[in-house]
Amino acid sequence: MKTSVKKLATAVGASVALMAAGQAAAEIKVGIAGPMTGPVAQYGDMQFSGARMAIEQINAAGGVMGEDLVAVEVDDVCDPKQAVTVANRLVNEGVRYVVGHLCSSSTQPASDIYEDEGILMITPASTSPEITERGYELVFRTIGLDSMQGPVAGNYIASQGPERVAIVHDKQQYGEGIATAVRDTLQDAGIEIAMFEGITAGDKDFSSLVTKIKQADVDYVYYGGYHPELGLILRQARQSDVDAKFMGPEGVGNKDINTIAGEAAEGLLVTLPPSFDQKEENQELIAAFDAKGEDPSGPFVLTSYTAVQLIAEGIEAADSKDPFDVAQALRTGSFETPIGTVQYDKAGDMKSFEFVVYEWHSDGSKTPVN
Amino acid sequence: MQDLLYFFQQLINGLTIGSTYALIAIGYTMVYGIIGMINFAHGEVYMIGAYTALIAITGLATLGIAWLPLVLIVALICAVIVSSSMGWAVERVAYRPVRGRHRLIPLISAIGMSIFLQNYVHLAQGSRNIGFPALIEGGFQFGSEDTFPMSISYIQITIFITTLICMTALSLFISRSRIGRACRAVSQDLGMANLLGIDTNRIISATFVIGAALAAVAGLLLGMYYGSVDPLFGFIAGLKAFTAAVLGGIGSIPGAMLGGLILGVAESMTSGYLSGEYKDVVSFSLLILILLFKPTGLLGKPEVEKI
Amino acid sequence: MAANNFRHALFCAIITLIISYPIIGFNLEAQGISVTLTGADTSTVVLVLLAAVVVFLFQLFRDQIMGGLKSIPSPMPKTQKEPMAENKRAKIESWVLTGIVVLALFWPFFVSRGAVDLATLVLIYVMLALGLNVVVGLAGLLDLGYVAFYAVGAYTFALLSQYAGISFWMALPIGACLAALFGLVLGFPVLRLRGDYLAIVTLGFGEIIRILLNNWTAVTGGPNGIGGIPDPTLFGMEFGRRVREEGNTSFHETFGIAYSGEHKVIFLYLIALVLAVITALIIRRFMRMPVGRAWEALREDEIAARSLGLSRTAVKLSAFTIGAFFAGFAGTVFASKQGFISPESFVFLESAIILAIVVLGGMGSQLGVVLAAVAVTILPELAREFSDYRMLVFGAAMVLMMVWRPQGLMPMRRIHIELRRQE
Repeated sequence: MKTSVKKLATAVGASVALMAAGQAAAEIKVGIAGPMTGPVAQYGDMQFSGARMAIEQINAAGGVMGEDLVAVEVDDVCDPKQAVTVANRLVNEGVRYVVGHLCSSSTQPASDIYEDEGILMITPASTSPEITERGYELVFRTIGLDSMQGPVAGNYIASQGPERVAIVHDKQQYGEGIATAVRDTLQDAGIEIAMFEGITAGDKDFSSLVTKIKQADVDYVYYGGYHPELGLILRQARQSDVDAKFMGPEGVGNKDINTIAGEAAEGLLVTLPPSFDQKEENQELIAAFDAKGEDPSGPFVLTSYTAVQLIAEGIEAADSKDPFDVAQALRTGSFETPIGTVQYDKAGDMKSFEFVVYEWHSDGSKTPVN
Repeated sequence: MQDLLYFFQQLINGLTIGSTYALIAIGYTMVYGIIGMINFAHGEVYMIGAYTALIAITGLATLGIAWLPLVLIVALICAVIVSSSMGWAVERVAYRPVRGRHRLIPLISAIGMSIFLQNYVHLAQGSRNIGFPALIEGGFQFGSEDTFPMSISYIQITIFITTLICMTALSLFISRSRIGRACRAVSQDLGMANLLGIDTNRIISATFVIGAALAAVAGLLLGMYYGSVDPLFGFIAGLKAFTAAVLGGIGSIPGAMLGGLILGVAESMTSGYLSGEYKDVVSFSLLILILLFKPTGLLGKPEVEKI
Repeated sequence: MAANNFRHALFCAIITLIISYPIIGFNLEAQGISVTLTGADTSTVVLVLLAAVVVFLFQLFRDQIMGGLKSIPSPMPKTQKEPMAENKRAKIESWVLTGIVVLALFWPFFVSRGAVDLATLVLIYVMLALGLNVVVGLAGLLDLGYVAFYAVGAYTFALLSQYAGISFWMALPIGACLAALFGLVLGFPVLRLRGDYLAIVTLGFGEIIRILLNNWTAVTGGPNGIGGIPDPTLFGMEFGRRVREEGNTSFHETFGIAYSGEHKVIFLYLIALVLAVITALIIRRFMRMPVGRAWEALREDEIAARSLGLSRTAVKLSAFTIGAFFAGFAGTVFASKQGFISPESFVFLESAIILAIVVLGGMGSQLGVVLAAVAVTILPELAREFSDYRMLVFGAAMVLMMVWRPQGLMPMRRIHIELRRQE
C-alpha cells in the first residue's frame, strides 16, 4: 500500500520535472498546437508542415533578433478539454507565441488561457467569428472568417438565379456557422430556402436526406461541414439521380472527397482561399516544400507558414519580445507574406481575405469559376 | 400521389438500413441469449469485416480482376473469415476468462475490447474515411420525372435478398442442425447442457463465430451502399443494432429481424418528416419506451426471477 | 494430450495470423483520387509472424507456463493469507487518505502550472468516480450514461452565468441539485429494469441529452457551446487580469502583488480539492448510514433484500440521485475550469472512462477510486510520446484488468463478522 503511494509520488514528481525542464537557452519558443491524431489529423499535418518550414527558413536566415525559433509541438486532438491541457503545458514551457489551434472549438477555450497569460496566438485555420469577437488583444488569425466565406458562397449561388436552395450542415461549430451565413445571404437576396437541416457528423446513411432533397426539388444544395459526410451525400445523391448542384466550404476541398464520392464529385463547387501555391511569387517556397517531399497545396499549409512569419516579423517590427508590443506592431504594420499583404483590424482579423469559388473535378483538380 | 411515392421511398430507405441492422443484431441477440452478456465489441467486428472486404476488393483491383461476381465472392469470403476469427478470438481472450463472474465484469471487458479494436484498426489503417467502390450501380425507377421519381437501387435489392437468405439459413440452422439444437439447449440452461455432454465452450464459440460472420456480410453490403469506411463507424452501428435486438426481444432471432426493420423505418421516417438531427433521439426514445412498457421486447420471452 | 495441445496451439497461431495480417499487413491509402493497397514494410510483417509464433509457443506450453507462474510466490502473500483486522485496515486507509489530502494542499505551491491544472482535472474525475461509485460500486446499478448528469451540472452553471449572471458559488448547489433532480426524474421510470437493460437505457439517456444539447442551438449554443464562463471568486475577488464584473475587485490588486495566472489555477485546484474531500466525506457517511447498507444489500441479493422489507425503488432511486448530485458538482467545477463547454466534452467515451476508474479502483473502495483516477488521468499524459497507442493500451488494460484482477486496485472489504475457527 505505502509503496504504491510512494511510486505514485515519484511518478508525479518525474512528470513535474519533465514539464519544468529546459527554460534557459537563448531562443524564442513558438508553440504549435493542433491535432496530430484523431479524425482531422490530416488538417493538422498541413499546419505542422507549414509552421516547421517557416521556422526552418527563418532560422536559416539568421533567426529573429539573433535568436533561433524553436518549435514546441503539442497535440490537442481537436478536443476542447485536451486543448486546455496543452495550452497550460505551453504556458509551462515558457512559450510566448502560439501558432494554433486548428479547430474553432479548441481555439476558443485555449485562447482564454493565452490571453490571460499574455501569450500571442495566431490561428491559421479557425474560422469561427466568435474567436475574435471577444475583444482580446493577443488573438489573431491568418485565415478568413465563416462570416466572410458564407457570403461569397451565398452571393455566388444567388448570381446563378436558382429558384430554391437546400442548406445542410453537420451541426458543428464550423459547418453550422458557415451554413447560417449562407442562409442569411440567400435570404437577403430573396431566394427561397427549401430546407435548412442538420445531420450527425460521422453518420453514413444519408438516403433519407437525399430523398428529402430530391423531393424539395432544389437547384442548389449548400453543405456546411467536412468532406467525409459530403462525399457520401454526393455519392448517394447521384445514385438517386438528384440533379442539384452541390457546394461546400474549404473543409470539403480535399482530395479525399474524390476517393469517397468518385465520379459524383465532378462539378462540386467549393469556396477556397485562393491557391497560394499557384502564385508566381511563392514558387521558390513551393519548391522548398517539394524538396522535403511535402504537399504545400493544402488550405492550411501556407496560412501556418504565414503565422510563424508574422510572429517573427512582428517581433522585429516591435523590437521587443513582449507579446503585447508584438500585437501592437501587428495591428499597425503591413506585412508581405505568401498569402498576400496582411493588415490587421482591431479585432485581430485580416482586413482583407479573399475566398474564391472553384469547381472541383472527379480527378481531384479544381478550376476557378469566376 | 407524390407524397405517397415519397413515403414509399422513405420506407424503402428505412427497410434497407433496417435489414442490415438486423444482420448485425443477430450477433448481439445470440450471444445475449446464450451467456447473457452484451458483446460491446460486436460493432467493431462488423467494422473489421467492412475493412477486410475493402482490402480484398482493392487488392483484386490492383491485380486487375474486375469480374463482379468473383470480386464480390472473394470479398465476402475474406470478410467472413477474418471477422469470424476475430469474433472467436475476442470471446477467447476477453470473455471466456471472465465468464461467470459478476455481470459488470464481462461488460467492462467488452467495452475495453471495443476501444482496443477501434484503435487497432485506427493505427493500422489510419483515421481517414476511405471510399468504398460502388460495385453494384443503377436501379429501377417508378413515377415520372416531373412528379417524384421513386427509385430502388440494385444494391438495395441485394441487401434485402441477402438479409432474407441469411436469416432463413440461420433459422434453419438453429432449428435443424445438431449445433443449432445444442445452441438452444445451452441458451435454456448452460449448466444442464454441460451435464448432458454438450461442449458448451465450443457452442459459445460457435455463437460468436456465427454472429461475426453475419456482421461481416453486413459490413460488405453496407460498405457498398454507404460508400466509405472509418475506424469509428462500427461503434454507433453496433449501438443501433443492439437497440434493434432489444427492441425485438433480446435472445430471439425473428425479434432481431423485426426490431431491425422497425428501427430502420423509424429512423428514416424521422429524417424524412422531421429532421435528421433527431434520428438518434427517436431511436433511443423508442428503445426506452419499449423497455418501460414491455421490458422483454416485442418478441422476447418474459424473464422469470430465479430464486 | 500433447497432440491435442499442438493442434490447439497451431489453430490459435493461425487465427492470430488471420486477424492481424490482413489488417496490419496491408495499408489502404488514398493516393490522389484513388485508393491503393500497399503491403506493409518487412518489419511489420515480421512482427505479425513473431506474434503468431509467440501465441503458438504460449499455447503449446500453456500448462507449464501457467504452472510456472503459480509457483512464483505472490508478492503480497501476507495480506492474502491473513487479512488485516477490519478496523485496523480502515484506520490505515483513512490515515493514508488524510495524508494524501494534506500533501495535496501544499503541493501546488511547489510545482508548475501545467501540473496543477492536470491535478484539477484528476480531482474532477475523482469526484465523478466517487459519485458513480455509489451507483455502480455500492448499489450495483450499471449506469452507462453518467456523463449526462455531469453535462447537466456544467450546462446549468454555463447557462445561469450567461443569462442570469449567477456566480460560481451560487451555481454550485443549483447545478448539483438540478443534476440530482434529473437523476430522480430519469431514474424513476427506468429503475425497475434490471442489469443490462438498465445499462443500455442509461446509455440511451446519456446520448439523448447530448444530442439535445447539440440541437437546441437557441439556448445552449448547440455545437458552438458556451464560452466566457466566469472563474470562481474568493469573497468577491476575481482572479483574471481584468475585473469582469462591477463591484468585484481583483485578487492581485487587493493584495498588491503582481498578476500571475497561477493564482487562478491554484485557487481552482484548491476548490476542486475541497469539493472532492467533501464528496468523499459525505459518501463515507452515507455508506455507514442505513441507506448505504441498503444499497449493498440490494446489490448482493435483490430478492432477499426485498423480502426484508427494503423498498427497491426508494433504495435504488436514492443511489441514483446521490450519484447524479455529485456529477453535477463535478460538472460545475469542470465548466469553471474550462471557461468554455460544448457537447463534445460529454460523449459516451467519457462515461466509459469514469466507469473504468470505478472498476479499476475496486468498485466501492474510496482510496482505490482516488488512486485509479490519478492513474487513468496521469498515465496518458506521461505517455504522450506514445499518444497514438494511448487508447489502444487503455482498451487492452481494461480487458486485462478484468481478466486478472477484477477486484480492482484496492478491493473494498465490507465490515463483516467472521466466525473464528476453533483452535
